[in-house]
Amino acid sequence: MYCVYCGVKLQDGTGECPLCHTPVAIPPRPGTAEKPMYSDRLPEEESHHGRTLAVWLVTAVMIAVCLGCLVFCLRTYQEVSWSGYVLMAAALVWVLLLFPLLFRRFRPMIFLPLDFACVAGFLLYICEKTGDHWFLSFAFPVTVIACVLTLLTVALFRYIRQGRLRLLGLLLILIGASFMLIEFFQHITFGTPMFVWSLYCVCGFGALGLFLFIATLIPPLHAHLRKTFFF
Amino acid sequence: MKKQWYRLDNAALIFPAIIRKNWNNVFRVSATLTEKVDPGILNQAIADLKPRFPTCFVRLRTGFFWYYLETIAKAPEVQQDYAYPLTHMTRRELKTCCVRFLYFENRIAVEVFHSVTDGTGGLVLLQNLAARYLALRYGEGIPAEGHIKDISEEPKAEETRDCFLSCGAVRSLSRAEDTAYHLTGTPETGHFRHIVTGILPTDALKEKAHEQGVTVTAYLAAVMAEAVAKKQENEGMTGRKARPVKITIPVNLRKTFGMDTMRNFTLAVNIGFDPALGVYTHEQICALMGHLLAAETIPQRMAARVAKNVDLQKMLILRLIPLAIKRIAMRTVYALSGESKGCLNISNMGVVKLPAEMDRHVDRFDFVIGVQYTYPNNCSVVTYGGKTYISMIRGIRETELERLFFSRLVELGIPVEIESNN
Repeated sequence: MYCVYCGVKLQDGTGECPLCHTPVAIPPRPGTAEKPMYSDRLPEEESHHGRTLAVWLVTAVMIAVCLGCLVFCLRTYQEVSWSGYVLMAAALVWVLLLFPLLFRRFRPMIFLPLDFACVAGFLLYICEKTGDHWFLSFAFPVTVIACVLTLLTVALFRYIRQGRLRLLGLLLILIGASFMLIEFFQHITFGTPMFVWSLYCVCGFGALGLFLFIATLIPPLHAHLRKTFFF
Repeated sequence: MKKQWYRLDNAALIFPAIIRKNWNNVFRVSATLTEKVDPGILNQAIADLKPRFPTCFVRLRTGFFWYYLETIAKAPEVQQDYAYPLTHMTRRELKTCCVRFLYFENRIAVEVFHSVTDGTGGLVLLQNLAARYLALRYGEGIPAEGHIKDISEEPKAEETRDCFLSCGAVRSLSRAEDTAYHLTGTPETGHFRHIVTGILPTDALKEKAHEQGVTVTAYLAAVMAEAVAKKQENEGMTGRKARPVKITIPVNLRKTFGMDTMRNFTLAVNIGFDPALGVYTHEQICALMGHLLAAETIPQRMAARVAKNVDLQKMLILRLIPLAIKRIAMRTVYALSGESKGCLNISNMGVVKLPAEMDRHVDRFDFVIGVQYTYPNNCSVVTYGGKTYISMIRGIRETELERLFFSRLVELGIPVEIESNN
């Protein structure tokens, strides 16, 4: 039995050519069913119970340390003083490092916003505890900017297949511009001079981003960059 | 029994560092017998082989500066083969044993993590396993000749040492090369690997290769290069857009340097042509591949290439860097240049020769190398009993490369019989 298209000989009982998927015109004769090359045993899913156990063990140690600090603070100062920072920092570390380990797959679009929300919460706690007023005018907008830029970067490298270089160029320009925004928030919060250090960032990121953007419009340069930085 | 440990050989150093969650470098050799395999006897044969091949019964351990291999106390149990070959060998599995022994119906298979040994080492292990199995099963007295070892002997020192360290030249050869065309396709879901095996009469293949005045390896590389070039052309990458088509050929250095080791001792060379320079005829491609392969594999050039790799391994500053940092550096270097210099591998194991006492019990041999992290296709070849088995593995859905390659062989007048695991 041969494939009429590829010209190769096929195994008896094969329904179609494995190379070009052309159906075999002559139906297999009884008793000539294709013998399976392999068994039907499938590999077991890799268990992550060990990892889960390790996460809960570390969590238990962290809770014990936090409780120790809290009790010590309450007995000594009759209030939650420095132990509050320890508790919040431990919670942040848990969310950033340990929480993702409880899941089989790392889903950045879910975990990263959660991480940034926790960072914002931690900063809010510090702001409230120290009696300052920099959270809403500086820390919160900067955290939001960092979150958006991180998500855009992850989306670019993880989910986008076409036109990556052009988008990377635009992203770099956006990162440069966001430094100006950060310096603006710094100015309105702390009264520092406007647009000093951010201009250097804008120039650096902007030039690199513009170069990549233009490179996508010049096919030979684009091809050279792809060839050189292929990975 | 006291645990022994072995440093990784020069070629093996990279493999543990580049393991991914869903990929690592594993290959498989299998022998199909004339009768069904008895797993109980096979287990006994594996246990009997363990003292003779200490470097194969090892697990991967992590040191502060380097990975290393440590012998295991008990030989691994044989398992039933999976639904597809080369299922992912997890890190946990590698920490238990770096070699898997499998059986299904008449077939005995050995899947080996590449840090342990290369294809030739794997084949020696399999042949000895089959010999011991047949000796236990049928009471055959199989003579220790060719690859078959006397298992009552102690392993020779040469078998367990890193031969790369003793064959490097005084001056090293640069590894700079052009980046090759990159095969792509739609990734297959899960870790499933498609295998298409083409069975060719060896005489017909040899005759065609000799008509062109080249070796079988060079001839197959030439036909594969034609198929890759055609695929590139079909994707619209012609003229100035076309990229070099290069085939990676692992060369067995045991013959080149007259050493017999059970560790890795191969070095890959990339041979090919640049379609941007014009249209090539089949005869020109064959001649080019033949000459390039012959020129690249002379001992002097191979020794200079080995020297380049060994020099890096011997650099004090690199040796003193902790493994965690080295690992990041190795992964980065591999990602940037490790798989960009060739389109795919063709690993030709050559002709398998067995003692007559074994021959009558063995139907066929197969050799399959896994896909690389970024190459979606790979090809491996073994010859036994007048037939050449060409196994093409892929991690993508498209069958275009296999179709172009095997149908080109048919066009050239070599009959091809196709098997597939789909």
